Amino acid sequence: MDFELPSEHRMIRDTVREFCDEEIEPIAWDIEEEHRFPEEVFDALADLDMMGVPVSEEYGGLGGDQLMYALVTEELGRVSGSIGLSYAAHTSLATKPIEMFGTDAQKERWLEPLATGEYLGAWALTEPSSGSDASDMDTMAEKEGDEYVIDGTKQFITNASVAGSILVKAVTDPGAGYDGISTFIVDPEEDDGFEVVTEWEKMGLNASPTCEIKFTDCRIPEDRLLGEEGEGWTQTMKTLNGGRISIAALSVGLGQGAFEAAKSYATEREQFGKPISKFDAVRDMVVEMDRKIERSRLLTHKSATQYDDGEDVTHSSALAKYDASETAREVAEDAVQVLGGYGYTTDFAPQRFYRDAKLMEIGEGTSEIQRLVIGRQLGL
Amino acid sequence: MKILVTVKEVAEAEDDFEIDGLDIDERYLEYDLNEWDDYAVEEAVTIAEDGDDVEVVSVTIGPERAEETVRMALAKGVDRAIRVWDDDLESADMLDVGTKADILAAVVEEEDPDLVFSGVQANDDGFGATGVALAEVVDMEWGAVVNDLDLDAEGGVAHVHRELEGGVEELTDIELPAVLTIQTGINEPRYASLRGIRQAQRKPLDVQGLGDLGLDASVLESAVSRTAMFEPESESDVTVFEGGAEEEAGQLADLLRDKGVVEG
Ligand SMILES: Cc1cc2nc3c(=O)[nH]c(=O)nc-3n(C[C@H](O)[C@H](O)[C@H](O)COP(=O)(O)OP(=O)(O)OC[C@H]3O[C@@H](n4cnc5c(N)ncnc54)[C@H](O)[C@@H]3O)c2cc1C
Repeated sequence: MDFELPSEHRMIRDTVREFCDEEIEPIAWDIEEEHRFPEEVFDALADLDMMGVPVSEEYGGLGGDQLMYALVTEELGRVSGSIGLSYAAHTSLATKPIEMFGTDAQKERWLEPLATGEYLGAWALTEPSSGSDASDMDTMAEKEGDEYVIDGTKQFITNASVAGSILVKAVTDPGAGYDGISTFIVDPEEDDGFEVVTEWEKMGLNASPTCEIKFTDCRIPEDRLLGEEGEGWTQTMKTLNGGRISIAALSVGLGQGAFEAAKSYATEREQFGKPISKFDAVRDMVVEMDRKIERSRLLTHKSATQYDDGEDVTHSSALAKYDASETAREVAEDAVQVLGGYGYTTDFAPQRFYRDAKLMEIGEGTSEIQRLVIGRQLGL
Repeated sequence: MKILVTVKEVAEAEDDFEIDGLDIDERYLEYDLNEWDDYAVEEAVTIAEDGDDVEVVSVTIGPERAEETVRMALAKGVDRAIRVWDDDLESADMLDVGTKADILAAVVEEEDPDLVFSGVQANDDGFGATGVALAEVVDMEWGAVVNDLDLDAEGGVAHVHRELEGGVEELTDIELPAVLTIQTGINEPRYASLRGIRQAQRKPLDVQGLGDLGLDASVLESAVSRTAMFEPESESDVTVFEGGAEEEAGQLADLLRDKGVVEG
């Protein structure tokens, strides 16, 4: 058991951290306040080869592993939840499935531009009346000649308004339950019958677009089917295994960002003639942050390492995601407390981490659903 | 054409630190590429990208720990690297400018570069002399504190701006081969790309001892030794002016007169 990161991973983490500190952190609050998707940041991430970290080099990716991807995602979360979320959804949900399940021709056409960062991707599973019970969807895809016709609405789709491709889950065989779901690649620019209905105003993460999208008689050629008909649900389960690791890593980053803000404030702010960190109550809050973050990070790295070893990560990724998302929210809340009144102002970062962290307990499977998954793994 | 870039891994202390003997306690130190060297690497790599057939080699004197720093230069586009270290260097108390110049001179002799870039100074010990001392030993032309470089590779001339004191610049032509010490601000150093970092793991990084360079432990003998390490007492005094711009200007004028900065 080796807890030391390989040198290559360390160098990548340090470089990404430097980039994040200098190029993202200074605008992190502005883009949140302006509700602005920072396209220029993603162009820069593409230039640094960050948009396809765990994708093979053959298709323009970096050829890194899940651990490397988790490290990069954590660093983004440490400065900006919005950028981290759009990044994680792009990589784990929109890009990886094409590599895992696509044909060579699909990879050439659809994977490469995602992996090189030419544009972002989105992944559409959730619907207005189907969230946690995700397989109970209403969106239909009917085969007509050599086309599929998609009809339905998808809810809360990250990046949909800025994406170059969207992976859409739809029912192809209504009687077949889990086995009746398939995945399609939709081109939001070119395909007719696609519409972004709403971009939601949210409690946080407002620089990451979250969209309601609608398909009305949206006709796509049959070669947009990803994998085989009826494989959509098993693909979803595999996709979410990797996705949970990325949300865990993002959460660790949010916690780390809030922790650093609290720690430095606590050593500088003086009350009753000494730094507030010298009061046990404040010190203990900061110590608890350290404990929780380290625990969550270890779970995340363990799950990423298992993923890289080809092991099943259903259990470990659910543990990591559940634990890290809770850590992020708790640490961010305490960070607001450590900063007192200043923590409640938008001049300081903890409130932003607090608002961003809350989503981590909801997206890609709520904490309740993670407990359900873990319970099942325990045979309960 | 070949460019040799000397790089150094420097220690940076945290804001609050403790001194342990003749050095800052290891617990408070972090290591990174010397800031000036980052600009030197960028300058060399840009020349290589813009020209044909330019090889960039970087050299450092440092322990194994420094490899990550050297690999960062490789990640930014340096072709290969040399790290000089052995047991004798490990046991030396301190490497003074003369020692470093002699060691680097042996590398220059081996590599025979057309240009050597070093940083103006190192962030930690700040002697600011290694580059020029090296030029002296290898008998090359040199230019110190270069903040603008226009290289005429064919003509064998470097047109440089040198930063002098008081905001004055000197424009000079320096004949190659030459050593230039590079000032911050000469360019904008790039971030290493992630692919660059991955490729850097496979680029050659050659470790050489003093013996490999035709030197021996006598090169470490030095007239300079570190005798003490302490934090200087510092005093600061703050005056906050308040009022409108005119009032504040008046208060500042009074203060400057008081302190004798201006007369009258
Ligand atoms: C910012 C943001 C980005 C998102 N990005 C995407 C995206 O890119 N793609 C995508 O497809 N989706 C995305 N989502 C959707 C997200 O995955 C869902 O919101 C989430 O899965 C929960 O579904 P729901 O909102 O319908 O809540 P519901 O499923 O209605 O849940 C409501 C409450 O009931 C609880 N609950 C439900 N079922 C059970 C049960 N069996 N046992 C115990 N408790 C239960 C839940 O835990 C929750 O507390 C995003 C959401 C947000 C807010």
